[in-house]
Amino acid sequence: MMRAREAYYIGLFDSLPLLRDPMLMVLLSLISFLPVLFIFLYSAGQNAFLQAVVGAVVLSLAFAGIGSAQSVYFNKHWFRFQDIFVASRVSPISYALGLSLSTLLVSLPAIVLAMAILLLQTSMGIVGLAAVLAVSALTWMAMLLLGFVLGASTKNTRRANSLPQLLGLLLGFLPPVYYPLNTLPPYLQPLALAIPTTHAAQLAKYYAGLLPLAGWEVLLGWGYLAVFVAAMALIAARRAHWVDP
Amino acid sequence: MAVIEAEGVGKTYPGGTMALQDVSFQVSKGEIFCLLGRNGAGKTTLLRILATQLRPTKGRARVLGQDVMEGARSIRERIAVVPQEGRPQMMLSAYDHIYLMAMIRGMPRAEAKVRTKEVMEEFDLWEHKDKLTADLSGGLRQRVLISIALTGTPELIFLDEPTIGLDPLGRRQVWASVRRMAKKGVTVLLTTHYMDEAEQLSDRLGIVDKGRLVFLGGVEEAKARAGNGMKVIVEAANGNGGAREVLSPKSEEDVLHIVQRGLQEKRRVTFKPTSLEDAFIALVGGGIDDESA
Repeated sequence: MMRAREAYYIGLFDSLPLLRDPMLMVLLSLISFLPVLFIFLYSAGQNAFLQAVVGAVVLSLAFAGIGSAQSVYFNKHWFRFQDIFVASRVSPISYALGLSLSTLLVSLPAIVLAMAILLLQTSMGIVGLAAVLAVSALTWMAMLLLGFVLGASTKNTRRANSLPQLLGLLLGFLPPVYYPLNTLPPYLQPLALAIPTTHAAQLAKYYAGLLPLAGWEVLLGWGYLAVFVAAMALIAARRAHWVDP
Repeated sequence: MAVIEAEGVGKTYPGGTMALQDVSFQVSKGEIFCLLGRNGAGKTTLLRILATQLRPTKGRARVLGQDVMEGARSIRERIAVVPQEGRPQMMLSAYDHIYLMAMIRGMPRAEAKVRTKEVMEEFDLWEHKDKLTADLSGGLRQRVLISIALTGTPELIFLDEPTIGLDPLGRRQVWASVRRMAKKGVTVLLTTHYMDEAEQLSDRLGIVDKGRLVFLGGVEEAKARAGNGMKVIVEAANGNGGAREVLSPKSEEDVLHIVQRGLQEKRRVTFKPTSLEDAFIALVGGGIDDESA
């Protein structure tokens, strides 16, 4: 209970500047919706629009996860709050959990909007909605851990800002998250499937009833995401130090 | 009772850089102990080891009776740190920082509010409580960081270069805060490369150079190492041009000899008390900014 409280207040401390500026929070959150707007305007099909909305759900959480890189880096090297927390009763688990929770906040407006659209425009029920959220949560965890690895490995303030943005582009806007996988030329599809957000988007579209997938494809998607999370957790545990070596 | 005991502490970083070698010293309860040295001398490394933030590679250190490696958890309950070049969150107020830190430290809400007010009043921050820290001066921001450290009423506080980058007024405000803490019985370990800061604040000081503790004692003791407590400046009578000599006489005979020589050569002889900087130069060679010396 004490640790949960620590995590909550660390999360609040990390996210309070954004909470105090709701306009900025909504703007940041809706960045993942920009492609949806263009697809809505320039694509004829309702299915394409809804696939883009599902993509926005997945990527809102993925972007939020990668954002942890900045939290980790700036709290350690810029504000040096990590040093203050290390020399206190705060546990490393509470600290990591607190920073993780604060990343979720920024994605909330986009998630709420996307879920409302999906519930109104598709036949996806509560089970489908829960499944989409579960896929997105696993993606968030994968990206969060990747963010921790990045934040703990970065030694340079400039990189701490630019690397998460670059990764956001590579993992978010380029692979088939907003658009269907089969629109890519066949030789690029295996490459796209090496990217975890592609699997997340495929699964989410499947659970939203927008894309048929074979049983093995569903298993492959979950398996790929789970392995990615485990690998990132392992690297993060090695790279992110509470007490410096 | 020793609050800090270091015995042969050494640190070699994973890359192979040897930052500390064989450092031994003790700090007593209620003392203000300054670690003085050039940038890169090893002060922060030593402070971080004692504050359980960094693993030593040699020797052992005990803080508040506990080993820094084995007893880190119980040490952390009783200490606080103000890190070097720490910065408050610019978009949060001074009150937000201190109140939320009190909550993170596990205080009930009502107690956290009372403690926040107490600490802010103690550090003359209450009148600025709703201002964003972006709008505060450097000295006030530093006081916010010190206040954060004091929310949990620590027995020992580590201040790493607490006045770096502050103007003279800001530095004096921080010094007053440090003295107030010590008056309340808090033991303070402070690193600095400012001579006047060490001279103003320290009950005892340790001079660190190239990872070694080259002096341990009081400020006057350090000055005594640089001669007999004074330096003599011999220069042209009009004060302009000509060779200027700064001498550190070792005995009264030396003083007499210098004065006689000055009279014979019709040069001006001025006496000045030895400063801590003179002592520092005598002990480590070169000046505070001379990292290569």
